[in-house]
Amino acid sequence: MSILIRRSNLMVPVTNDRFVQGAWRHGADAITLDLEDGVVPAFKASARGLVKDAVAAVGKGAAEIFVRVNKEFMEADIDASVWPGLSGIMLPKVESPEDVIQASELLRALEGKRGIEPGTLNLIVLLESANAIWRVREIISAGERVSQVGIDESDLSAKLGISPLPEYDPFVYARGRVAIEGTAAGVQPVGIAYPLGAMASLLPDEDMLKIATDSKNLGFKGIICPHPSWISSVNTAFTPTESEVDFYTQVREVFAQAIAAGTAAVPFHGRMIDVPVDEWAKVVMATSTACRQRDAEKQTALAAASR
Amino acid sequence: MTTNTILPQKIRRSWLLVPASQKERSVTAAKSNADVVLLDLVEFVSDRDKPSAREGIAETVRELREGGAEVFVQVDSELLYADLHACVCPELTGIVIAHLESIAQIQEADTLLSQLEDERGILSGALEIVASLETAQANQDAFQIATASPRISGLTLGRAELVMDLRPEPSGEIHLMQYLMQRLITVAGAVGVQPYGAWCREPDRGLLATPENTSNAAIRGRAVGFKGSFCVLENQVEPLNSGFTPGAQEVDEASQLLKQYQAAVTEGAASIRIADRIFDAGASLQAQATIDRASKIAVHDQAKADAQAGRPVPAP
Amino acid sequence: MAEEIGVHRSGLTMPVVTPRFVDNAWRRGCDFINLDLEDSVPQHMKGYARTLIKDAIANVTKGGAEAFTRINHDLVQADLEGIVWPGLSKVNYPKAEYPEEIEKLDRIISRLERERGIRPGTVEIGANIETSVGVANAYDIASASPRVKEFGGAGGYDMSRDLGVEMFVGFDQFVYGKGEVELAARALGLEPHTAPFTANTTGSVGDPDRAFREAEAARKCGFRVGGGLHPNVVEPQTRGFTPTQEEVAEAHQTLDQYRKLEVSGETWADIDGKIIDRYEAARARRLLEWSAACARRDQAKAEAVARVEAVGE
Repeated sequence: MSILIRRSNLMVPVTNDRFVQGAWRHGADAITLDLEDGVVPAFKASARGLVKDAVAAVGKGAAEIFVRVNKEFMEADIDASVWPGLSGIMLPKVESPEDVIQASELLRALEGKRGIEPGTLNLIVLLESANAIWRVREIISAGERVSQVGIDESDLSAKLGISPLPEYDPFVYARGRVAIEGTAAGVQPVGIAYPLGAMASLLPDEDMLKIATDSKNLGFKGIICPHPSWISSVNTAFTPTESEVDFYTQVREVFAQAIAAGTAAVPFHGRMIDVPVDEWAKVVMATSTACRQRDAEKQTALAAASR
Repeated sequence: MTTNTILPQKIRRSWLLVPASQKERSVTAAKSNADVVLLDLVEFVSDRDKPSAREGIAETVRELREGGAEVFVQVDSELLYADLHACVCPELTGIVIAHLESIAQIQEADTLLSQLEDERGILSGALEIVASLETAQANQDAFQIATASPRISGLTLGRAELVMDLRPEPSGEIHLMQYLMQRLITVAGAVGVQPYGAWCREPDRGLLATPENTSNAAIRGRAVGFKGSFCVLENQVEPLNSGFTPGAQEVDEASQLLKQYQAAVTEGAASIRIADRIFDAGASLQAQATIDRASKIAVHDQAKADAQAGRPVPAP
Repeated sequence: MAEEIGVHRSGLTMPVVTPRFVDNAWRRGCDFINLDLEDSVPQHMKGYARTLIKDAIANVTKGGAEAFTRINHDLVQADLEGIVWPGLSKVNYPKAEYPEEIEKLDRIISRLERERGIRPGTVEIGANIETSVGVANAYDIASASPRVKEFGGAGGYDMSRDLGVEMFVGFDQFVYGKGEVELAARALGLEPHTAPFTANTTGSVGDPDRAFREAEAARKCGFRVGGGLHPNVVEPQTRGFTPTQEEVAEAHQTLDQYRKLEVSGETWADIDGKIIDRYEAARARRLLEWSAACARRDQAKAEAVARVEAVGE
């Protein structure tokens, strides 16, 4: 089975040359060049001209590359972004299936024009309103290109008139809905446990690791990172740990023995091991292998680029 | 389908439920400083008392309106004809439909309100509906209900925990309410109407709580997106008003942040760091929303004070 | 006659292919026994397992428990042919994802009931929600057949695998899914089969104290349905889901007070810090009905066990 490993996705304003030039060194699985909220209005037009070179610059560490476009300048922004090396577009403020269809059409046309294999560019869809959360199913089912879906909790708070307090999570429902509907539709949900989505901040590594692990255990497959300091904790959290791999290796052995003995339910460390546990063990081990492969690719690229 | 995205977002932090059968309570209610007085024909009026409670209810609506509060009447979803004929008058802002079971009930209320507006010289479409989603079926159908009439201006769970018999979990949280509250807020946001409610915990019960617990429930409620809540006692009104108003310190911090953010934007940066927090465009929108809400509330409170003091109220 | 309330406080799910479990099942005091053809039965034994069900139904119900069977999601036709026999109360269908699946089950069960002389509608369907797709379609699934009477899921190993999460992490990971499923159940007037969250970081299936605490907490929130994997949890679950004598006495008192209130024309009263109103009265009535149903069930089980013991084994 092929598993998409896109644990960390670093946001970099395309207008900040220092950030753009340094982005490849942080070990992110993906890097998103931002034309939207990370670029102040005065620079929107000139920012487009920077994308082509930036795509080349940030790809040195084998990260996938995305560009976050402005919803209101979707056509011009996508036109400025589709160059060889790009993996896809991050589409913010999506409100309806039509938004996804429009972006997909633009990508299809540009793939032909710019010598990119048809159908390869994908979309990361961001939901920022209650309407979008409610309509998530139609939105993410609107095109084959949608690979991930997430919530911009900061914008969603503002739209709902919420001043977030760290103790009271307003988005349990929204996050759960996106995780379930995304999984049901075969689109990876991305997101982060409260309160970091609504109130981004820099945490000590161990706190960051805890919150990233909680995010994984809510059903998310990765986190969009506003700051490079999040990346290593995020990558670690979404990679099965060695002790997990050991545990599930044993689970598989114990279960195989049980099957041979004519039962498919066997106690192990106080738990009951049956088919779903064995199935989960397979997933953990396949994910572990895929993460290790991805990390090796990045290591190789980093080493080559550092030389 | 209709959506109410242009409906003005009125300030309705506190809704004081007053049994329509107890005329003497409406006198004290008028002085309670509630944003809305909700004359009740459902929860606190027994079937035996309903006919007499309906008599003269329109007169009570008029008296209360003069005190500066908006006035709604809570009507029974099964007794819409009688309840609406009794209460509709030009001073009425709208109705709350309790124990809502079906979309058809919204449509029935809408039709009745249109007829009564026509007969009684009220601007067509002026009377609002707040849908009280107290049953599981009404919650299941929340989106369809919220879009069933352009009169719908708000959604609430009302006394859902009692109607659905939801009780405290070992944590003190009331079972299923976190899910139901956030679902309601999402639907309200999707349709563009106001969600009303507060985040209550054991031992709060059916809108009833001590002033302190009411205050905490309002603060938690505001933090997850509610705009105001119903209450049963006069001493819950101020806790709701203040709990649903951004605090002075909060507004101050938001203004500071916005200033720093705007300065950074002029320099070309689209996000700033203050201590460990990253403030970006989204955070600046949150801050702006807090400031806007606070100033709207200040205007509203001034108008209410003027009305209570008998000063002429400027046209809205 | 009003329909009898289902009493399913405790039950054991067991592989039908393990004779030591099946033969002792009637002694466990369960309200139901769930004979498994699915996850606990190895693939190469599915056909053999089916042939055991007919006798197993008679065997496990000797002590007054109801017999359920969990079938395989992908072997519906063959499994149903093998299991719908007199004495079967419910077919548990795992990983329900679409209403059409339930409609198909209903059609086959209806035919088998007719052919095998079982009263129409006897066999319930347990549509278990164990995947994201199932959650997304929960309401349509729950309303697909009148045979669905209890409805729940949206947690557990299958759900976790589908979402790609570890279990036993100490916080509630399934608020949305469980909420969707419970709301659908309540909207349709079905018995919700979920539970309030209690942190469990061990995954242990045989802890009696924990089982009692969870059952008691669930009962206080209005839940009635239990079930487990280990004999140690049967008695604590049965006890935890049964109203206590104090609760029964309190319910009688509430109804007395409410009758007085109704006479007075008031809608509520605060009596010694306890609110009396129509909601408390409704809750009290429901509790007394449930308590009576539990008592009837316990008596029926005791009589069944006595009959077996009188005959001698």
